[in-house]
Amino acid sequence: MKKATVLALAVLGTSVVAASAQGSSQSAAQRYASAAFNCKKQITMPLVTPVTGGAGFLGAIQGSWAKLAVQQIAPQLHLKVKFVLGDTPVEQGPAPAQALAQKYIGDPSVLIVLGPSTSGGVAASSAAYFQAKMAHISPSATRTSLTQGSPKDATPAFFRVVPGDYIQGPSDANFMIKNLHVKKVVIMDFQEPYSTGLAAAVDTTLKKAGVQTIRLSASNTTTDYSSYVTKVPSDADIVFFPTQKPGDAQTFAQQLIEQGKKAKVFGGDGSNDPAQFKQPGSYVSNFAPDITGIASDQSIIKAWRKANGNGQISSFGPPSYGAAQVALNAIAKACKAGHGTATRLSVFRSVKKVQIKNWILGGSFKWSTKSNDPLNAKFYIFQIQSNGSYKLVG
Amino acid sequence: MDFFIQLTIDALTLGSVYALIALGYTLVYGVLKLLNFAHGDVFMVGSFAGYGVFQVLGGANPKVPLWLFLTLVTAAAMGACAVLGVAIERFAYRPLRDAPRIAPLISALGVSFFLANSMQLLFGATPRNYDTFDIQNAVLYTKGFNIGNVHMPLLRIITIAAALVLMVALWFLVNKTRTGKAMRATSYDREAASMMGIDIDKVIVFTFVLGSALAGAAGVFFALRVPTTVSIGFIAGLKGFTAAVIGGIGSIPGAMAGGIILGCAESYSQGYISTKWSDLIVFSILIAFMIFRPQGLLGRADIRKV
Amino acid sequence: MTDSTPQGMHEGPAVGQDEWVARHAERRIMRKGPLGELERRLRLVPWWAWLVLFIAAFSLLPVFESSGYVRRVAFDTVLYMLLALGLNVVVGWGGLLDLGYVAFYGIGAYTYAILDSDKFGYHLPTILSVPIVVAVGALAGLLLGLPSRRLSGDYLAIVTLFFLQLFQTLTTNGDSAFGHDITGGPNGILNVDAFHVFGHELAAQHGGVFAVSYLYVALGFFAVVFVALRFVNESRTGRAWRSQREDPLAAEAMGMTVNWLKLMSFSFGAAVAALTGTLFAALSQSVFPLTFYFVLLITIYTMVILGGSGSQAGVVAGAVIIAPLLEMLRDASKSRVIFFVVLVVALAFAARRSRALALVALSTVVFGFAVHALCGGLHASWTAGDKAGGLAGLVAHWVVVPAHLASWIPPVSYVGVIAAALACTMLRGVARLVALVPTIYLSAFVWENVMLSKPEPARYIVLGLILIALMILRPNGLLGERRVEII
Repeated sequence: MKKATVLALAVLGTSVVAASAQGSSQSAAQRYASAAFNCKKQITMPLVTPVTGGAGFLGAIQGSWAKLAVQQIAPQLHLKVKFVLGDTPVEQGPAPAQALAQKYIGDPSVLIVLGPSTSGGVAASSAAYFQAKMAHISPSATRTSLTQGSPKDATPAFFRVVPGDYIQGPSDANFMIKNLHVKKVVIMDFQEPYSTGLAAAVDTTLKKAGVQTIRLSASNTTTDYSSYVTKVPSDADIVFFPTQKPGDAQTFAQQLIEQGKKAKVFGGDGSNDPAQFKQPGSYVSNFAPDITGIASDQSIIKAWRKANGNGQISSFGPPSYGAAQVALNAIAKACKAGHGTATRLSVFRSVKKVQIKNWILGGSFKWSTKSNDPLNAKFYIFQIQSNGSYKLVG
Repeated sequence: MDFFIQLTIDALTLGSVYALIALGYTLVYGVLKLLNFAHGDVFMVGSFAGYGVFQVLGGANPKVPLWLFLTLVTAAAMGACAVLGVAIERFAYRPLRDAPRIAPLISALGVSFFLANSMQLLFGATPRNYDTFDIQNAVLYTKGFNIGNVHMPLLRIITIAAALVLMVALWFLVNKTRTGKAMRATSYDREAASMMGIDIDKVIVFTFVLGSALAGAAGVFFALRVPTTVSIGFIAGLKGFTAAVIGGIGSIPGAMAGGIILGCAESYSQGYISTKWSDLIVFSILIAFMIFRPQGLLGRADIRKV
Repeated sequence: MTDSTPQGMHEGPAVGQDEWVARHAERRIMRKGPLGELERRLRLVPWWAWLVLFIAAFSLLPVFESSGYVRRVAFDTVLYMLLALGLNVVVGWGGLLDLGYVAFYGIGAYTYAILDSDKFGYHLPTILSVPIVVAVGALAGLLLGLPSRRLSGDYLAIVTLFFLQLFQTLTTNGDSAFGHDITGGPNGILNVDAFHVFGHELAAQHGGVFAVSYLYVALGFFAVVFVALRFVNESRTGRAWRSQREDPLAAEAMGMTVNWLKLMSFSFGAAVAALTGTLFAALSQSVFPLTFYFVLLITIYTMVILGGSGSQAGVVAGAVIIAPLLEMLRDASKSRVIFFVVLVVALAFAARRSRALALVALSTVVFGFAVHALCGGLHASWTAGDKAGGLAGLVAHWVVVPAHLASWIPPVSYVGVIAAALACTMLRGVARLVALVPTIYLSAFVWENVMLSKPEPARYIVLGLILIALMILRPNGLLGERRVEII
């Protein structure tokens, strides 16, 4: 009898507490969204990117550039910003991006988030950011359906500073048609979100122009592509190979030579890494030009080299600098409008007002009025030279 | 026809690597009745050890003659893996030799996880490419047999031949030497063997040395052609074990045959059926094999005496 | 490893157990004094009271913690508790090494996503879809068990691992299965409905912050599963499971349908996993193939093994320890705290055990300061790293943290500490005690300089080590009963 009473009391107590906690959770969320944040306090700025796992190189590159932007720009805007990395290993799919979104939404010192780097991560976490009225700016998520079409995979809280595959796919395909005069193209995908989207986009444009396409698909764990190489017809001109593992593109190009095939490998932005993909004659497309030729970027490049031991400047890095720059400017604008205080919502609203004169990727930066994409952005196509360097060809 | 022959060449290269991994599984399973989950990661460590020596010896511009260069790289990887294998046996499996069978299996899972992540901690997730292609103007890729559309470059010839040599050497070790005899006796009946005066510990250590060294060689042969990462161990181990099962676990010729069959299954299904579903096809074959003929092609059926 | 009562007291001999074995726990020498009295009193508390207390304590968490992140971690912990309970049925009671377990979790999540999302526009009410999902999970378990019933041990492990691989392949390529898009392929299924009962939607987020109501729903699921499985375990089936686990041949000779029992345990485990999958899918409102993979599998296994496979209370404890631990290890400062707390507690315990160990503890501390002073004296930059406040600052007075880490230091020190630890296990007597001192210090050095900067592999290294060490030192885990073998 006594036990039963204790039990009943415990259950009752629990339910009362539960109900009250339920209420407090709602108010907590609203509190964060509209909480006035004193701009003099330290702001946390996370970048959500793969730091470990097979695409870990991406996090290392993007992290170093975003960090540099925070170090250089935050003091100019009189902001105190702490830069942190959130890890989303590609091997675990987009789920870690969701967990990180929870973490950052729960942290009142986060006003805006950089990333996620991968389109899958964006699709998985954008809803949470939108509900929290917090903007997130990706430096590299290129899936078209994130910002365009209906239904969209991402919410209005998502911005990207690079154009999407709606430009990359067609511009790669058009380059093949106009400049390379292709007749037959093999198109690979790797059974993960990035490559399937891009492969489909290229396929569509090529087919429209009457080019014969052959689709091949490899699982994400494939390491040896020998029989894929064997399947490439000897009269194929190009193998479109949008991998996120640049080393695989390199191997594929070498195996094509091994089998005496004339086809050249054409990689997407995911294989843009001069350290790993360097087979002469191959093509790579990217959302950023080689910034070493841009005069206004020289001081940035110098600073980056100083901090990163003269590493090679890959095209993946600079957009992260740009994304951080836009994010910091949005915070500064919101702070100015709010007279020294900002909220997540006010930062979110000021993102689209940001314009940058000397954009790190050349020219100036403006948002498109129609979607959360950059205005007039284009994709750049490089051909790998015999010394392994990337030369801009289109 | 050209297409078929080329696919077969792909299959043989792939299959010889699988066979080498499978031998490690088969040897250990034969003696200890233990599924060594960490074997795939030993293979991975081998490919990294080989990479290190490859770089030390000059990378794409070797400081020694090419044949010696490749031999040294392989030997170093084999040595490193042998040491690793012995350490794993000594510290993770030996204390559990008399435990229920599930215990060493779980310990093996732990070792596998530990190795893969330790390597990631130390060397990062960046893929490592041996840059074999750049050696002497791609000699390993462009020289060799080239008849019509069929290409059998040096690198593949070396891989297949070296794997064959290693297998023959192993066969000789197991069948013609005293230690080999002790191994076979232990695998047949451990208790009886120990009563006959065979030092079981020594035999087991020897088995791990052999198996792990073969995995190291496989790691090098694999990574000479394909970039290696710290996470390849899992899939490679799975494939190797499968090859061992197809051939009949515990049987050495079986493991070799199993490796080749698995290589063929992969290549032909990718070549003729569908690249997208080739994994599914291969795994389905395997599951069917496990269920309908668990003793494999050349293994002996497990008869239990109560 | 039986769990006839969670507290280890036996109420009488059970079927499938020897009397001597059954009363093993009772023969333990009880502690004297007030502690012993407390222990005896605690043992008299029935299991359901413990369960109620545990759930009540868990539900109080949101009162003290308003961070959506912490609450989400708590929710994930409950998910892990559920998954561990399910795995315990297969591994702990059935004695079957099922490496495809997370596939059932995935099947549950995917089935729910298909039944309740815009994908096919079904939107079944939760009260209908959850039972369907559980049934699908149970059926999938039966189907996997069907061909596997002839296999045992390693073969079973590998077939189930293939099953997991198959699940991965099917879901990743399910966007073009015979021309139909079923699983969304690698993009997964988005916009999955939250739970909705009788027209009320239980939103998964409020303003992007984790909705705490899901914590209670999960706890409710947990309570139901825990009680249901407990009754199953105490039933005829549960006893039969245990006896076929201990000796399938003898069990079969006694007329038990061993194959059917194996199928049942597969099926029960799969059903629990599938049920957990609905919770996961409803909360994250999306499912992706890669969530249900090897890392998750190992994590759940570690929980079950740590807690003590076979004991329900044990595996829950395992989940409660491992899930927050893994989350905290992501963060360098928390990771540091964990290491030093574990170190200090271990040294303190060691010091109480024997005087020699106390000496080891003391000399470790002294050794640390000595090495630190030495290194600092030789070159100031060697001890100049990480002078942040708090524990980090305190630690930096003891552990050598160089300002710049030469690239050879991490691999050498890491391999060195492993070699040293392994050597310690081989040494005996005084030599071992002496060797322990630098080993402990070196491990602190490695943790501080190598592991903290790379949390992702470091976390999983810890998991791997826990698995290996447990299997060797304490295969029965924290709360599992020691297996008593009569020869």
